Amino acid sequence: MSAEIIIPGELDDSLDPTQHDVRPQRRRALTQGRGLVGLVLVGIVVVLGFAAPLLAPYSPNEQIPGANLLGPSSTHWLGTDEVNRDVFSRMVHGIRVDLLVVFLAVPLGAILGSLVGLVTSWWRITDVLTQRVFDVILAFPSLILAIALSAFLGPGLWTVVIVIVAAELPVFGRLVRTSLRTVREMPFVEAAEVVGAGPLWVLRRHVLPNSLEPLTIQLAVSMSVAVFIEGAMSFLGLGVRPPAASLGSLIRDGVRTMYDAPYFAVGPLLVVVALVLGLLLISQALAESRRA
Amino acid sequence: MARYLLKRLPSTLVVLLAASFLIFVMIRLVPGDPVTALAGPDATEEARAAIRADLGLDRPVLTQYVVWLGQVLTLDLGRSYRLGGQVSDLLATGAANTLVLTITALLLATAIALVASTVGVIADKKWLNAILSAINTVAVAVPTFVTGLVMVLLFAVLLPILPAGGTPPAGYLARIDITVQYLLLPAVCLALPASAALTRFLTESLRTQLRQPYVMTARALGIPRRRIVLTQALRNALPSALTVLGIQFGTLLGGAVLVEAIFSWPGLGRLIEQGISARDYPVVQVLLLLSVAVFVLTQLVTDVLHAALDPRVRLAGSTPGGK
Repeated sequence: MSAEIIIPGELDDSLDPTQHDVRPQRRRALTQGRGLVGLVLVGIVVVLGFAAPLLAPYSPNEQIPGANLLGPSSTHWLGTDEVNRDVFSRMVHGIRVDLLVVFLAVPLGAILGSLVGLVTSWWRITDVLTQRVFDVILAFPSLILAIALSAFLGPGLWTVVIVIVAAELPVFGRLVRTSLRTVREMPFVEAAEVVGAGPLWVLRRHVLPNSLEPLTIQLAVSMSVAVFIEGAMSFLGLGVRPPAASLGSLIRDGVRTMYDAPYFAVGPLLVVVALVLGLLLISQALAESRRA
Repeated sequence: MARYLLKRLPSTLVVLLAASFLIFVMIRLVPGDPVTALAGPDATEEARAAIRADLGLDRPVLTQYVVWLGQVLTLDLGRSYRLGGQVSDLLATGAANTLVLTITALLLATAIALVASTVGVIADKKWLNAILSAINTVAVAVPTFVTGLVMVLLFAVLLPILPAGGTPPAGYLARIDITVQYLLLPAVCLALPASAALTRFLTESLRTQLRQPYVMTARALGIPRRRIVLTQALRNALPSALTVLGIQFGTLLGGAVLVEAIFSWPGLGRLIEQGISARDYPVVQVLLLLSVAVFVLTQLVTDVLHAALDPRVRLAGSTPGGK
């Protein structure tokens, strides 16, 4: 290659807005104010879930003789349920189900959706087709999609995972497509293409850095939605199958025994709120640092 | 506006058609045979065949789909397999109750949002805004099944002043006191997240309005801030708030499934739950299609209304430079 031709890698980075480093800002967003509160809330729940075998005084399905619907005490921190199981032990193990849903199902849907959005939007035909399919999926309110899919798949943990992947896939597909289109019309990308940058280079150098921020924010939002979907599905009896516990199924059990043991559901309720609120606060803090 | 509607209508119809086919096929694939459920395990093969033919289940799936679509379009929904009676009757009762609940919630949410956003913007105090914003975040974050449960726990179990839910007596709408008793908790529970979204949006657009030059002019003329907010700014902020309201209506109908399950409210959400556990194809199919249709059509209506109120939206697709 002769010296006169400018190869893309040698373009002056200071002119490229994508090279403007946003990382310090993001770090600040999560170490102060609501971002920090969110991080702490989610952190506590994650620790509870990961340390479940150490924290739980009983095994989650162990039936303790004589401990029927007991109130909170020093031996049973959150009381016992109608078949003599320790609610606290069930709760910390149930958190693991929600962590699986949040940190596995949502990223899976996000990665699949982003890939589909990225690949198909390059050609007009695949783009139009994919967007129509997304339209159809998005036409289902998430809970209705959950009901329809679980009628077909039967209740269970994997149904919850599939519902969340199916609900999040088009959300991320759309998002990636939109930022792809916006970025591709920017002058600096046109300039890069003029000097001979190929699609992969544009993708790696311009599209990805520019889509990363909205994607992270959406990821946090989707994670909080996932906790809601798991809770709602288990609450309606479409989630994990007994005797397994999840936060939603514990709340469902709590409702059944409400008149005998009114405080049964309080623990799982608080954890759900902490998780959803924490993730939402993180997403708000990220969005704010982006606007600033 | 008519042109905008014409432009949007075909793709909406295609989406609905595709969704209806998806629902139909999905429900067909549900494990468990409705014939066995209806005839019982001991039925003879002839009896089963007769039932199958009677329900049209012996024909190819595509034919069944076309027949079903024709029936839906002519509102001839047939008999329910298990829940008894005509599907249309079940649907009418459920829809009436769900509409009462959803509309009450929507009105409640709008009222809360109008008060919270105007008070916050007019007072313009840092501490008040911080409190309102914190309440708002919590209201968005706490799932409906959590608020519902906490309310039942507080107002029905620990402090028994309201019923924990259930079917109100027939003709309940004629008696205000009974209506309030049964409707208050579910409606508040359903309204809270919607009101939070609406408040956030209205506050934001009111603030944007207050930065406009006309507000400065009005202030210079000595018109008090309160009056500017309540008369001009609010009027200008309302059209886009309508869009948010429309989207909220769609999500409210989805949320109604949960709220109805918590409070045993005899609406469409409860019907769909019963239909699924009874494997009642005709009921579940129509309900799924109905919720998708309502969701998609509210989006269409709000977009069209938005276009009618804001010419920029209407013209966006037809400008030469537009893509």
